[in-house]
Amino acid sequence: MIPTKETVELDDRQLVETIRRGDNDAFEQLVRRKTTKVYSLCYRIIGNAEDAKDISQLVFIKLWENLDKYDPHFAFDTWLYRMVTNVAIDFLRNKQSRENAVNSNLRLVKTSSDAEQGVVVQRKEIENVFNAVATVLSPKQKTIFVMREMDDLPSSEIAKILGCRESTVRNHLFNARKLMQQQLRKRYPEYSRLWKEGQ
Amino acid sequence: MISCQSFRERLAPGSNEAAVMEHLRKCDACLDFAVSVDADHFFRALDGSELTPPGGVDAFTSDVMAQVRLRQAEGSMGRRRLPNPWRLAVAAMILVGISGAAIVYRQSEQTAPVAQIQPAAHRAELVTKPIVESYDSRTATIVELRGEGASDAQVVMIFDDSLPADL
Ligand SMILES: [Zn+2]
Repeated sequence: MIPTKETVELDDRQLVETIRRGDNDAFEQLVRRKTTKVYSLCYRIIGNAEDAKDISQLVFIKLWENLDKYDPHFAFDTWLYRMVTNVAIDFLRNKQSRENAVNSNLRLVKTSSDAEQGVVVQRKEIENVFNAVATVLSPKQKTIFVMREMDDLPSSEIAKILGCRESTVRNHLFNARKLMQQQLRKRYPEYSRLWKEGQ
Repeated sequence: MISCQSFRERLAPGSNEAAVMEHLRKCDACLDFAVSVDADHFFRALDGSELTPPGGVDAFTSDVMAQVRLRQAEGSMGRRRLPNPWRLAVAAMILVGISGAAIVYRQSEQTAPVAQIQPAAHRAELVTKPIVESYDSRTATIVELRGEGASDAQVVMIFDDSLPADL
């Protein structure tokens, strides 16, 4: 019988220590472990699979280059998320400045009679609606919205990730919701009934 | 997953309970109800589960590791090419020594016939009288050309605006 290599499941901090000693295999293990987490957040912030994949890879390269700066007193995922949000926000800022004009008229609004009919929320459409209306958000607003509403991260954790106050996170969230409701009314009147006037 | 009835009982505006969120993201029957309770559940219904990048995790990891190895290779080559401050200092001293030798040699050439030159004596004089003993600059470009054999002269060139013009 061929002896198998004993697999030792190291936690994130132990893995980072091993990588710092120059172990490429440990880094590969870390990439494998965190890929879906990093990619999912990138995808929800960026809204495009190919760009999200490229940005996720860039995140891991930056991670590898900056691993000596990680302070093991803090949760590794918080540090990782900070890396993701920095890279994704930078990407969005550049992308938004290039594509703002193009994105503004992606969808024709439905007629008011359609809107009056009332509509059952279609799960498969929510993502498209989100990607369309979220274009009015700043990269930071969108990032906070995604982490809070889709990743269910508490505001305190988001504040740690972004290195800001919790009140700043709550302000960004409030403004993001308002802006998206306005966009929904304008571009998706069939869903605007969901948000009562003045809400 | 909790039942539809339990979901509807536990759902409240701004609810953040994990079991409630899971139901919201999976049950189509309860989605409309949730949004009628709190419209913000509309976007919260987006699936928060982890996604796999196009091509899968294995291909993704391979791409990342290929880039890491490339950078490692570039990094070690860069380190080999980049002289450290001590090498720069030594290189600069050699240049200064050679330059000084050239000047002193030229001066003694002018005062004495070629036949009377005693190279060994000149060399001894050069070693003990360098014009500048060391050269250290962050802005200088230093090019070092090694000779093939041990007896070949080593040439070091310094390109630096702050270098004395008469050196
Ligand atoms: Zn249900």
